[in-house]
Amino acid sequence: MKSKSSCNQGLPARETSRTLTLACAMVFVCLMAYVPLAQAGGDAPLWMHSLTSAPLPAYDEKTNAVILYSDIDVTVLSVSRVRTHVRMAYKILRPDGRRRGEVFIPFNSPAQKVTSLHGWSIPAQGKDYEVKDKDASELAIPHVEGSDLINDVRAKFLNIPASNPGSIIGYEYEIEEQPLVLQDAWTFQESDPVRESHYSLQLPASWEFKATWLNHAEVKPTSSGVNSWQWSVNDVKEIREEREMPPFDGVAGRLIVSFFPPGGPALNGFSDWNGMGKWYSNLVSGRMEASPQMRQEVATLTGTKNTSLEKMQAMANFVQHNIRYVAIELGIGGWQPHAAPEVFSHRYGDCKDKATLMRSMLREIGVDSYHVAIYTERGAITPETPAHHGFNHVITAIKLPDGLNDPSLVAVIQHPKLGKLLFFDPTDELTPFGQIRGPLQANYGLLVTPGGGELIELPQQASSMNSISRTARLTLNADGTLKGEVKETRLGDRAATERERLRTVTKDTDRIKPIEELLAGSLASFRITGASVINQAKTDLPFGFNYAFESPNYGKNAGSLMLVRPRVVGNEAVGLLETKEPRQFPIEFEGPGRDTDTFEITIPPGYVVDDIPPPVDADYGFASYHSKTVVTGNVVGYTRTFEVKELSVPVNKADDLKMFYRIIATDERNTVVLKPSP
Amino acid sequence: MLLRRVGFVCFSALYTVLAFTSLTVVSHAEGFRPVSPEELKMTSETLAPGAPAIILYRQVDRDDNGLTSHEENYIRIKILTEEGRKYADVEIPFVKGGNDVVHLHARTIRPDGSIAEFDGNVFEKQIVKARGLKYMAKTFTLPDVQAGGIIEYFYTYDFKEYSLYESNWILSQELFTKSASFSLKPYKGSLENPFTVRWTPRLPTGTQPPKEGSDRDHTIRMEAQNIAAFQVEDFMPPENELKARVDFVYSTEAFEPDADKYWKKVGKKLNGQVEAFVSKKQAMDSAVGQIISANDSQEVKLHKIYDRVQQFRNTSYEIQKTEQEAKREKEKEPANVEEVWKRGYASGNNLDWLFLGLVRAAGFEAYAVYVSDRRNYFFNAKTMDRNKLDASVVLVKVNGKDAYFDPGAAFTPFGLLEWPETGVPGLRLDKDGGTWIRSALPLSSDSQILRKANLQLSQNGDLEGTLAVTFTGLEAMSRRVEQLHSDDIEKKKFLEEQVKEYIPAAVELDLTNQPDWKSSSQPLVAEFKVKIPGWVSGAGHHALMPVGIFSAPEKHIFEHANRIHPLYFQYPFEKLDDVTIDLPLGWQIQTVPPPQDNDGHVVLYKLAVEKQGGALHLSRKLTVDLVMLESKYYPALRNFFQVVRSGDEEQIVLQPGTASARN
Repeated sequence: MKSKSSCNQGLPARETSRTLTLACAMVFVCLMAYVPLAQAGGDAPLWMHSLTSAPLPAYDEKTNAVILYSDIDVTVLSVSRVRTHVRMAYKILRPDGRRRGEVFIPFNSPAQKVTSLHGWSIPAQGKDYEVKDKDASELAIPHVEGSDLINDVRAKFLNIPASNPGSIIGYEYEIEEQPLVLQDAWTFQESDPVRESHYSLQLPASWEFKATWLNHAEVKPTSSGVNSWQWSVNDVKEIREEREMPPFDGVAGRLIVSFFPPGGPALNGFSDWNGMGKWYSNLVSGRMEASPQMRQEVATLTGTKNTSLEKMQAMANFVQHNIRYVAIELGIGGWQPHAAPEVFSHRYGDCKDKATLMRSMLREIGVDSYHVAIYTERGAITPETPAHHGFNHVITAIKLPDGLNDPSLVAVIQHPKLGKLLFFDPTDELTPFGQIRGPLQANYGLLVTPGGGELIELPQQASSMNSISRTARLTLNADGTLKGEVKETRLGDRAATERERLRTVTKDTDRIKPIEELLAGSLASFRITGASVINQAKTDLPFGFNYAFESPNYGKNAGSLMLVRPRVVGNEAVGLLETKEPRQFPIEFEGPGRDTDTFEITIPPGYVVDDIPPPVDADYGFASYHSKTVVTGNVVGYTRTFEVKELSVPVNKADDLKMFYRIIATDERNTVVLKPSP
Repeated sequence: MLLRRVGFVCFSALYTVLAFTSLTVVSHAEGFRPVSPEELKMTSETLAPGAPAIILYRQVDRDDNGLTSHEENYIRIKILTEEGRKYADVEIPFVKGGNDVVHLHARTIRPDGSIAEFDGNVFEKQIVKARGLKYMAKTFTLPDVQAGGIIEYFYTYDFKEYSLYESNWILSQELFTKSASFSLKPYKGSLENPFTVRWTPRLPTGTQPPKEGSDRDHTIRMEAQNIAAFQVEDFMPPENELKARVDFVYSTEAFEPDADKYWKKVGKKLNGQVEAFVSKKQAMDSAVGQIISANDSQEVKLHKIYDRVQQFRNTSYEIQKTEQEAKREKEKEPANVEEVWKRGYASGNNLDWLFLGLVRAAGFEAYAVYVSDRRNYFFNAKTMDRNKLDASVVLVKVNGKDAYFDPGAAFTPFGLLEWPETGVPGLRLDKDGGTWIRSALPLSSDSQILRKANLQLSQNGDLEGTLAVTFTGLEAMSRRVEQLHSDDIEKKKFLEEQVKEYIPAAVELDLTNQPDWKSSSQPLVAEFKVKIPGWVSGAGHHALMPVGIFSAPEKHIFEHANRIHPLYFQYPFEKLDDVTIDLPLGWQIQTVPPPQDNDGHVVLYKLAVEKQGGALHLSRKLTVDLVMLESKYYPALRNFFQVVRSGDEEQIVLQPGTASARN
């Protein structure tokens, strides 16, 4: 999601960080010019050379590289000290695999320190290469709009020589850390197939652990010494990225391991969601005390409001719009919000800061609320996921006062103990109070309550809450020119998207561009003769575009006939499944949605309708599409409805979805044939 | 010697001289400038309607004294909308120990004029740390920023001692600038080693160019008002050519005000370097004897030499080696063409000079030419910047005519240059300093995409058959270079994706041949089995077939009515479609669209649909024969592409046989 609705909450070492990789790529070119000359390298170590003769299974021709060996050795020394030693080796199979030699080791400074780093290459021919710590560079993420202003995520970068097809490249490093949380995640499934992967754990005496497997059958550990265990997996299939697939964490094989000192979880540990809730509650504790200035602001905001709903809406509007999104996430600051008065006085903060301020202000009018930690893509956290720090965003759950049943409040669940809870995202400036964005719907979040916490499912809103409703009255001239007006009303995410586009426009003359792009997607030629935007800033009201246009040569003369496409504007067909490769993962929709088009085209005098396209009725359960062309006198009427009903389409229905989109594409091209009046 | 490079250059010899220069670092002692009631009250700027924020005032004062060199920056921004608040997040990049940021002050002025003091929490972020380098940024954000308010900050870049940094004033910013002030106290060097500075302004209309003051430091100053926000558009010339800016160039040589004399001097020097590299007559005579025959025609001789040079290993196109790899391979830059010939590899530039040596040995009159690559800049001789003459080509007299060659540019077909070297000024070198030339611009017919398809329409409306796509000229070259380091699997995927992008519908296709990726003399030909499901749709007893099978790339071109910048294409090109469609038995062709012939001189669109017995023949031609077009012609060009799209949407009306076309 591109809007400012996600906050990174720390980045544990070893976890794949796509954001970091992308950001690092931005400075990579610059960096390459400064990579210092390494000393003539020594031989690769024995553990790597032993891999050269290992037999490999047959991989398909698209496999860029294979992880020959991965070994992660975690030693918990105390509640505040963990040492991790990592060995990785790849065989590069294709040119695209060369990038495996560009090694990024992410870490959080200063809580984590990379104490050693080596890399080697065993080329298909010639001597080995070696690179060491001193050859590595250190990178941070440059600030880009909408991202953190400052955080402590860093990466060590090592460029391993001769990372060419046929080479075996490997690296070894050690990280010492003061863990924010006594937990680790072993992600053994990657974008390359894995031949052999090991995870070892050494705990102090009397310590215990809890291990949970995700997206992989459980593998029992073997004991490798006193209070020491090892897990191994072999021949793990790679994950190839597909469009609209679930988040990586939702499909990758992983082992989540929590560590417990004698007597149970430490202050920086937890064994279940309730424990994690307590841990988070401790972080928030004391951060919500309102300042006199805040109380004054609350009084000002609510003074003229009569109902609790109006008061909450006024506060929501204040926190969404008057508190600028700025993320400063250092150390525990990746998790712990700033104090509400500080956020209020600065008028800026990140998602958890905004949620904290919102809660604090609500408390001033006697409304209870809770932090909810969540991941901004549905599917990363499921009911099967063990309690772990896999969230990247914080929103608010508001306990609705008894008797409040306003129809505008739709993002609501009935909690068995807390009553009606309304979910509200103070960071999302474009979604009105009462609703949440599609990716948060039917998503799982950690509800943090004073007594602990629990994983809860957020509500799924009706598809009609996220919609485009388009009506057009148009006239076709005998020369083929089509002209008329279109009224377009948008709700939910469909509205937020356009509001976001208009908000970032930097000059008035560019405000027409969204309409131009919409028309250009459907019309070969057009001229906009009038346009207006409805409720751009009033996010609690439907957003609208009203526009008038004329399109020369819309009706095509074909001998004595004239051909007219009744679907004048708007596209619903997408080609995401038009690939040669069979689908591997479910297709995820951002949210439910329902779009309707109603077009009326008055045909020119002297013509009558000769033929119309057949109606379409396609209902595949997960989505439906209905269209119909009718003729009433000299008016051709075209109506259609496109609805997404389920949020995920399983792999075994991917062909159905492909067919569904093809049916829509054909309907969108269909034509009405006019002929001269008899 | 010209000194103009990013980063810094150290001059240890300057130390004693610099002791006599002014050591006073003048900071913004006066602090923040007063805010006027007008600045507070304003809610919009008539010259920037709809802007989220504008720069009210910007000041850049640079002092290149060499010892305590520094640059003071001051910026005041008016926040006009909620979106404009993002400009309160500030990141100032610097190189640790190179140009440190000091004396940073910032504040917010609320709409009512009250001040929200900045708490001074400035984060020093390490962007890149490698041995010998720390690329950092000072990052901060301002408090209580509201629409209607003003933010402002100032800071000083403190440059490393004994260093001279690139200096330029970029006037065009992301935001509209109401008022700006710039100054530079130039470095003057010493009596023994004096420095001169000259500058090249590209300024908005009405802005007076920089003037050198009569003060002791000869301070150069400039004021500017109402500078438009810089905007990015599709098909625009390089940003460097569009942004208002002033570039300063230092020189250790006396300032040469006459551009002709300057370039003569440069030309002589370059000619000396090239001739020293090329003049190995005996070696070249021997080499050329291995390439050509006495009976070959002039054209054939030239072609053979060109092909032979292109077969050399071209190190300019190799994957960048790590320094360890380079050290181990012990490859050194050749000293002359004889070494190039013996080793069998060289950089692209040196391969050009090998070509020069060989063609001369074959008896051709030939010259080294330095041209200006138009990827990032357009050359202007008056700027007297030698660094902008940055690409090598070879001019050969063929039957009395000038022909240009660049065998050092991989996969460039004989007779063509890579696009950045086309249609640009260049200096043809000789012992007298050279002559200005302009390299040739290729014809649109030199770079074609030809799509020839033989398709069968099925009863249910699918099109299926074979497709051959032929890329010629620069169209072939660019694809060969792009896929140079890919394997066959990736190349296949690349070509299939390219064809998918041509067809505005779902398509199933499979590459069936092994295209020639290595040659520059042959077109790149890709053959496919193709199926377009449901291309023909039904309407009662009619079946309708759109004619624009390969029209997708033109669907979204020039969507917007407004245009600021000129239009810029890399090179002229042509797309030709030749499609034959066999109809199912019993189907009749009812009507075909009328032919289209839209000739806009520099652009051309032709479309014809003909009945050929029971089959259809579609031919389409789209030519773009221009590189640059002023923005005033944009409406005409946009209209042309609307005509193209409209033509591509024409439909053939078919009469199905016993079975109807299926939807």
